Amino acid sequence: MTAAGQRKGIGVPLPRKEDARFLRGRGEYVANIAMVGMVEVAFVRSQLAHARIGAIGKPPGQEDRVFVMTDLADVKSIVADSALKGFKSSAQPVLAQRKVRYVGELVAMCYGDSRAEAEDIAGLVSVGYESLAPVVDMFDALQRDAPLVHEHWGDNVFLETRVDDDLREIRSRAAIRVQRRIRTARQSMAPLEGRGVVAFYDRRLDQLTVYSAAQMPHITRAGLASCLNLDQGRIRVIAPDVGGGFGYKGILLPEEVCVAWLALKLGRPVRWIEDRFEQLTANANCREHHYDITGYADAQGRLLAIECDAVVDSGAYSSYPFSACLEAAQVSSILPGPYRMEHYACHTWSVATNKAPILPYRGVARTGVCFAMELVLDAIAREAGKEPYEVRLANLVPPDAMPHVNITGKHFDSGDYPEAVRRAVAAFDIEKWRKRQRHPEPDGRRIGVGLAIFCEQAAHGTSVYFGWGIPMVPGHEQCTARLSPDGILELRIGAHSHGQGLETTLAQVAQEVLGIDPANVRLIHGDTALTPYSTGTWGSRCMVMSGGAVAEACSEIGRRVRHIAGKLLEVAPDDLVLEDGDVRVAGTDRSISLAEVAHVWYRAPQLLPPDVDPGGLETTRGYKTRQDTGTFSYACHACAVAVDTELGTVEILDYVVVEDGGRLINPMIVDGQVFGGTAQGIGTALYEEMPFDTQGQPLASTLADYLLPGATEVPAIRIEHMETRSPLSSFGQKGIGEGGAVAPPAAIANAVNDALKELGVEMLECPISPRRLLAALAEARVPSPRLSPTR
Amino acid sequence: MKIVALTVNGKPVRAAVEPRTHLADFLRERLRLTGTNLGCEHGVCGACTLMIDGVPARSCIAFAAACEGAEVRTIEGFDEDALMERLRQAFTAEHALQCGYCTPGMLVTAYDIVTRLPDADEARVREELAGNLCRCTGYVGIVRAILHVLATQRARS
Amino acid sequence: MWERVGERGLSARSVKAPPFEYEKPDTLQTALALLAQRREATVLAGGQSLGPLLNLRMAQPKLLIDVRGLTELSACRDVGDAVELGACVTHAAIEDGGMPDPTRGLLRSVARGIAYRAVRNRGTLGGSLAHADPAADWVSVMALLDATMLVRSAAGERRLPAATFMTGPLSTSLTAGEIIVSIRIPKFSARARAGYYKFNRKPGEFAEAIGAVLVDPERGIHRAVIGATAGAPFVIEDASALLDRVQPSRLQEVVTAAGFIPGSYEHRVHVVALQRAAAKLQ
Repeated sequence: MTAAGQRKGIGVPLPRKEDARFLRGRGEYVANIAMVGMVEVAFVRSQLAHARIGAIGKPPGQEDRVFVMTDLADVKSIVADSALKGFKSSAQPVLAQRKVRYVGELVAMCYGDSRAEAEDIAGLVSVGYESLAPVVDMFDALQRDAPLVHEHWGDNVFLETRVDDDLREIRSRAAIRVQRRIRTARQSMAPLEGRGVVAFYDRRLDQLTVYSAAQMPHITRAGLASCLNLDQGRIRVIAPDVGGGFGYKGILLPEEVCVAWLALKLGRPVRWIEDRFEQLTANANCREHHYDITGYADAQGRLLAIECDAVVDSGAYSSYPFSACLEAAQVSSILPGPYRMEHYACHTWSVATNKAPILPYRGVARTGVCFAMELVLDAIAREAGKEPYEVRLANLVPPDAMPHVNITGKHFDSGDYPEAVRRAVAAFDIEKWRKRQRHPEPDGRRIGVGLAIFCEQAAHGTSVYFGWGIPMVPGHEQCTARLSPDGILELRIGAHSHGQGLETTLAQVAQEVLGIDPANVRLIHGDTALTPYSTGTWGSRCMVMSGGAVAEACSEIGRRVRHIAGKLLEVAPDDLVLEDGDVRVAGTDRSISLAEVAHVWYRAPQLLPPDVDPGGLETTRGYKTRQDTGTFSYACHACAVAVDTELGTVEILDYVVVEDGGRLINPMIVDGQVFGGTAQGIGTALYEEMPFDTQGQPLASTLADYLLPGATEVPAIRIEHMETRSPLSSFGQKGIGEGGAVAPPAAIANAVNDALKELGVEMLECPISPRRLLAALAEARVPSPRLSPTR
Repeated sequence: MKIVALTVNGKPVRAAVEPRTHLADFLRERLRLTGTNLGCEHGVCGACTLMIDGVPARSCIAFAAACEGAEVRTIEGFDEDALMERLRQAFTAEHALQCGYCTPGMLVTAYDIVTRLPDADEARVREELAGNLCRCTGYVGIVRAILHVLATQRARS
Repeated sequence: MWERVGERGLSARSVKAPPFEYEKPDTLQTALALLAQRREATVLAGGQSLGPLLNLRMAQPKLLIDVRGLTELSACRDVGDAVELGACVTHAAIEDGGMPDPTRGLLRSVARGIAYRAVRNRGTLGGSLAHADPAADWVSVMALLDATMLVRSAAGERRLPAATFMTGPLSTSLTAGEIIVSIRIPKFSARARAGYYKFNRKPGEFAEAIGAVLVDPERGIHRAVIGATAGAPFVIEDASALLDRVQPSRLQEVVTAAGFIPGSYEHRVHVVALQRAAAKLQ
């Protein structure tokens, strides 16, 4: 038995194995990779949102260092179709062809011996534009006479979906009917490291090697292969250390295709490192949703129906592999979430505009959906004259209904949602805040409290994605495990860890199964040449899917270790247990170490009898969950805010998260995911916004304009855990990587609205910036700002 | 080209540089000291923070040619530093890093906080961290780690 | 702010500075001679504002003349009724208080609110004033304090009052060939009181609004400044009526006079900034 204090398996807050290199500046990010003879790329990008391209002038003497689409004629456009009925296909040329459709679209590729030199050349390229009227706002795009982003479509709608229901009876019966127009701004995921590529051609292997800041390297390879007309085997994609992904690094970028092509063309290593301006304005765009939503409830606030028209601004192109319809299609299926209702109708549009393509960001559609639903529930609570948490308790699916299939057919595997609310209310001490609200604050600010609930479907598989028919349907996950001759366990997975700590947590899984010290486990990930196929890291799936695959592969290694050890110790394999790095005869102190077993197997096979199974100590095992509808983690976020009605600022005074992520593999890392997600959600709620002018020019091009929350904007978040095990996964674990980013906009907006309810102000759009808040206050005809000499 | 002579992590360096080359590119591309990460190259994110003459500075908006005679210390130059070792241990114990990209700059700023402001409280630590963005941790672990080192330091003295 | 920066962003498509020459003269005299000779040169002090502009290629000078470290620009001295701070004194040095402070702490507290420590360690007082970003702190504070810039060129020396030093966004009354040598700041008398309020979205970010007030009865000063305007800070030389009894309607009027449209967001936040600066006098 391992002493309790020494346990390093599942459930232990083990410090991370990967920290050592990062703390000494030894992380290996793509920008750190340099090669002899390497050239660097800078792109010429469209300065107009919508225009026909005329002549592109290459600077005299530098013609061989500038490439336009006609030079890349054999390269295919990026296409990401959905099989959903009515989906209209877009083809994104890797360099613009005939027309540009958003500011920042690639027009030409230039290279130099340094990035600075490449930029010098790019600055000399002339591009003739014939400007076209841009369509910038998604509602303008839906107008009959709107300019067309893709002319042959006839309109600007990628996809329209409809969940119909007859609400006539509900409309006449509902005592409460709240109708709201709710909007979330376009945002940028803004990982601290941008995208980046280093590509070179390996003559010996006849293989293009592409280092890319990517979270789904096998999918990147498939996309590159199809654009470059190469067999997948002729491409190796390596995702080295990656400085944050958040969904952005799951996308195949045209830049990746161009740089890979150039490496083949030149026969030299080529590097492109995305700068912040490129990232903010042209690439990492996300989140822009609009909801016209109506909630029907009885007089007590019990929900009867939700009716919603949702429009998502998908930007100019459908991005590979998730497509332009992921967000809106998700909206219609996840809007009701854990709430019970009798009827539900939802109509969605994925709309093309002359803006950068919208990409899935942590939480994907959930953040917008949670914002819309939770604001409506608070509005219902106000109508019903109840505490918002009481309305939640009245409508959430109760634990005795688990497993539960909701009105859109989502299968909730487990959980006690009302308990999460009760615990949040208790941890947060709502009565304390209600009491404080009754007295004016000395500094004149207004206090408000708010909460929000969401569920996070994670590690969902084939049955969920097949219906969308996007280029990538997940099914299973694999792990290759190898016990090396020295007893070190190598694990290989095709997903990628870029902050989630998989090098540690998967070693903990191996410890749980094989009893091996995590220090003796090496995880190899994110390299298509070294790892089994995987759809990669997305959808909060790794701890369930890769964790399950690691457990399967380790079980098989354990079986084979016991077989060999049984021969050596002359006992039946079933009499052997694996613990503390040893194979022990159960109930005795006779044992042999894993290292000795491995040594004998590889280096001293003469010690084994002839009938030993030659299967060896290396295996690849696949895994899928018992049912592929996904694990459902969930949380209740509750917060208190102080609103300065003179300046329109919001300070978060307290923030509590009660989270149920099933069984926690490493609670410290889980907390880190929740803290980090919540901080991003605070950014969505109060700071982050990518505005455009009427001509489609993005207006936040630096981090001085695009405000990311810093240490002064994020409070000391408190977390409480519930651990309802999922019946679907190996150890009862659930995916929780995204959830933190889902609820904060809703919880904070509800708190702000609570603070301002006496003033008749309700904020329905995020971020809740001072500009928006003061405009809303002015509209509500608040008396002019009160002077507060105490300040 | 300009000849510049400076000290990097205690070692003298003499090199010809293009005046436009900023210090971070010089360190990363010429000296292969890649621990200094670039996050925005306009002085906001703090990822490239390192020490010039003993105080934190943004290496993306300092030109290498302007560092004549300067003592530059990057994250790699703190390998054997006892205080930095305490910070590293606290960072790992408090899970103050995830993707690791902001970490070198964050550690340099943390080092400055614990040496310059030994009595800093949580509010002050947060204020001093305002110029170092982290997109992963929500700052919870970072603030705790720095407060922990400050507290141990105070307990010792 | 978006509009302003977005316009900049349009032309920016780079992250590495354009080619330029670089000179670091040993003396102020050499620097001035070089500057006289090369009119297309730009003076580099701390480089904390110029650096980003260069990387984004929004500034494309042929030559940078680095004046950081020139002893003539680093000296601070008490000159009786005033203190002279060298133009290359850093914000961090002011924050740390290692020099005579004519304002009994105002300079220190303002310095602490500028950008971030890593930027303050290199950014300079003179550099910030010469850069003349309307949203920066020192242009407003120096106007409030009635400071005088001592500027020198190869041709000679001039004294420029802070109140009229800035002529518009990113533009000053410095003429080609001139360098700020020092800033002379009159001392507060015993009963002087000052209030400064900066409204920004996050610590270290540029100001959305600045309000600053100074009452120094012995010197007959009742001054208010509205900063972070579209151009130069707006100075209300005789603000006694405003400051004796703070009235919202009067504040609204002066903010309108400073060029803000009544009812606009900018108008509102400037009124509040001024009001809160005034409240600090109480």
